[in-house]
Amino acid sequence: MTTILQVLFVLLGLVAVGSALLVVTTANLVHAALWLVVSLGAVAGVFLLLAAEFVAWVQVLIYVGAVVVLLLFALMLTRAPTGRQPELSTRRSVPAAVVAVLVAALLGTTVVAGFRGARIDLQHAQVGTPQVVGGALFRTWVLPFEVLSVLLLAALVGAIVLSRLRAERGGAD
Amino acid sequence: MPLWWPLLLASLLFAIGVYGVLVRRNAVLVLMGVELMLNAVNINMVAFDAHLRAALHAGQTFTLFIIVIAAAEIGLALAIVLLVFRSHGHIEVDRLRALADRDEPATEETGR
Amino acid sequence: MNVLLLVMLAVPFASGAITLLLGHRAEHAGKAVAVGGEAVALTLACVVAFSHLGSASPTAHVYASTAAVGPPIALSLSVDQLSAVMVLLVHVVAFLVQVYSLGYLAHDPRYPSYAFLVSVFTGAMSLVVTADDLWVLLVGWELMGACSYFLIAHHWELPEARAGAVKAFLMTRTADLGLLFGILVLGHRFGTYQITSIMGAIRHDAFQVDSLWLPALLFLAAAVGKSAQVPLHTWLPDAMPGPTPISALIHAATMVAAGVFLVARCYPMFLNSTSALTWMAFIAAVTMLLAAVHALTSTDLKRVLAWSTVSQLAYMFGALAVGSYSAAVLHLLAHGAFKALLFLAAGSVVHAVEGATSMTAMGGLRRRMPYTFVTMTLGFGALAGVVPLVGFFTKDAVISAALREATGGREVWPFVAWLLVASMIVTAMLTVAYSLRAWLLVFFGAPAPAAEHAHEPPWVMRAPLLLLAVPTALGGVAVAYPAFVLGPGRGGELFHAPMAIASTAIVVVAAVAVLVAWRRRTEWDLWRARPVPHPRADALYEFAVVRPVRWLAGGTVFGDREVIGGYVEGAAGAAGGLGRLLRWAQNGSVQAYLMVVVVGAVAVALAAGARA
Repeated sequence: MTTILQVLFVLLGLVAVGSALLVVTTANLVHAALWLVVSLGAVAGVFLLLAAEFVAWVQVLIYVGAVVVLLLFALMLTRAPTGRQPELSTRRSVPAAVVAVLVAALLGTTVVAGFRGARIDLQHAQVGTPQVVGGALFRTWVLPFEVLSVLLLAALVGAIVLSRLRAERGGAD
Repeated sequence: MPLWWPLLLASLLFAIGVYGVLVRRNAVLVLMGVELMLNAVNINMVAFDAHLRAALHAGQTFTLFIIVIAAAEIGLALAIVLLVFRSHGHIEVDRLRALADRDEPATEETGR
Repeated sequence: MNVLLLVMLAVPFASGAITLLLGHRAEHAGKAVAVGGEAVALTLACVVAFSHLGSASPTAHVYASTAAVGPPIALSLSVDQLSAVMVLLVHVVAFLVQVYSLGYLAHDPRYPSYAFLVSVFTGAMSLVVTADDLWVLLVGWELMGACSYFLIAHHWELPEARAGAVKAFLMTRTADLGLLFGILVLGHRFGTYQITSIMGAIRHDAFQVDSLWLPALLFLAAAVGKSAQVPLHTWLPDAMPGPTPISALIHAATMVAAGVFLVARCYPMFLNSTSALTWMAFIAAVTMLLAAVHALTSTDLKRVLAWSTVSQLAYMFGALAVGSYSAAVLHLLAHGAFKALLFLAAGSVVHAVEGATSMTAMGGLRRRMPYTFVTMTLGFGALAGVVPLVGFFTKDAVISAALREATGGREVWPFVAWLLVASMIVTAMLTVAYSLRAWLLVFFGAPAPAAEHAHEPPWVMRAPLLLLAVPTALGGVAVAYPAFVLGPGRGGELFHAPMAIASTAIVVVAAVAVLVAWRRRTEWDLWRARPVPHPRADALYEFAVVRPVRWLAGGTVFGDREVIGGYVEGAAGAAGGLGRLLRWAQNGSVQAYLMVVVVGAVAVALAAGARA
């Protein structure tokens, strides 16, 4: 029985996969970042469909909002050339494609074979509202949460330190 | 919906991310591939969370954690990329081969 | 007696070693030891020899024996009349040569090694002539060859000395294979290596005629090589760059006579084999003539004497081939005396004209060097067979024996016997010719510039000449009483009056011819060196032996460098290639590493899945 959810899911999935393919194959650096936006947005849509509200919006905020912006900034700071670049992929594209297909086949067959009969019951799904997620986060998972914040701090400090190092002086470990 | 639909989507996205990591010359594009892989994992997590409906909500929580870690990681990674750009003048992963085993001492890519 | 024999053998080795060890630290002591040691050995040799001459019975003694697989090899010595006279000859000539060398090598810095080698040689030759075990004989034989090699190359800065030494060594060594294989055949046939046992067995048992042709021919090959007969005759003239006393001792009197000695020692075996005797006769006939012609056409004094040695050795082989043991041995002894005399006198002459050996640098020396002149005249006379010198008697004995064989003997084939007789007679004439020629060129005529200031050598060098002149002049007595020297049953009639008259006539005719040519020497020009038209043995050797060996050597080098070396280099290359292959794992590209990781993970997953 196909519901509207399933149709939407298939559409979003196609968008995600298609734009991901474009991310890894396009010859234009900035276009790759933009296609990444599309792909991540589609993934956020998938989250919504799977009743993970909060996660979906966090995905949009952080990934689409911050991470992609960071990537764009990096492209800018490294003077990425605009326009079509012919040599953006290495000569190893065929073997890598083979490997990727293998990986896809492997994982795909594993999951399909493993979970063939299972179904997600979306009618009785517990929607992941901020309430629910927050409750879980600050009750059961509070310790990892705190540790994560320390991790973020460390990453912050590290990024600042790294970016302040002068390249001539050496010692980037 | 059958469980295996989102799982298959995750597998495909993961494979595409692998391809991107292995093939792209520019370091930033490699990081984009990494992001794709992480997103694939996230889809996996959320799908299972929806399927299992556990009381702990581990799936969605872990998804949040992964998003956070991914953000931290990409911040640091881009800092390193900028350093590499400053010292080498380019960020083509292909050309950064200072640690290769070779007969003569490395000339271009020694970096110092 | 047994102990005495061992001591006599050991003394030369010991004195040689001491001289070498004293070296340059105590030169006079070294010389005293060398000459004194040889004097002691000579005394012992006299004692041993005189107690075995004449009708004395031979003694044999076994000192040690091995328990080997097959017939036992024993250190056994036996002394009979032949050994006795040979031991005497060796030690007398060696002693005189040692004395002579004090003068000849007075200023030579290599005297210690020289004296050592001469002493070792003397010991080795004594070992050969007293050996009863064939292997002991072989040891002494090879030791002689080694000493000869070292001594020819005494002046090793001269390329001709080095070349001559190598040539002598290679040719005699190759011939010695005959001796080795002959010993093995005899050991196998008779179950023992003792010469006395083998010869006794041949004499007493009924052996089918010519059944021992194989060992006989093998021994003949060794004798041909050692005594420089055709076809292995080319090494002896080329051994002349060695010091003259060495030429006297080794290449005239003793070592080259070892071939004759070997045949004489194993005579019963040779008498059994007509084919060996025929070959011996044929070789002798060819050699004596060829060598005499070479002697006639050389201008180098030492080369003339060397070719003369080859020719006279052929006479001895000729005598042995026709069954006359006594004539051969007596001629050997006589030749030892007068040829040593001739060489030592030649050494004096060479010494007087400051080292030149070519007769063109000599001339008119009879007034300036009277002693040398007289003694060398006696030597040449003996060589030519002038009555009443010893050479006359022994050469006559040889020719008579050959004639007897040709007219009714049964040892060799008749054709070869007549060939031998004819060759002997012609060679006798040629011998007179070249002896007279050399004598005239050296002592008569106008002196060359180098001979202007010639003078007699010191008494150290003159005394041996005078001493050797005695047996040269008076040795004919031994021919009249062969049994005294050679034991009972030997000799028979060695002196025939008709033969004597005939040979004297030959001498006179040849001498007259040469003297006429001498008077007319400016017109006839027979006095320069002329090449002898004949196929050069050395060229044959070059073609048949030297070139194939060089080709093989080149092939071996090629095989080693390209084929085997190819494997070695290939192994290195393979290791390098493998390394280059493995180096891809460290090519510096992070994406390559990641690829490997992913592929590995996939592979592991697949394997796990396949298993499950």
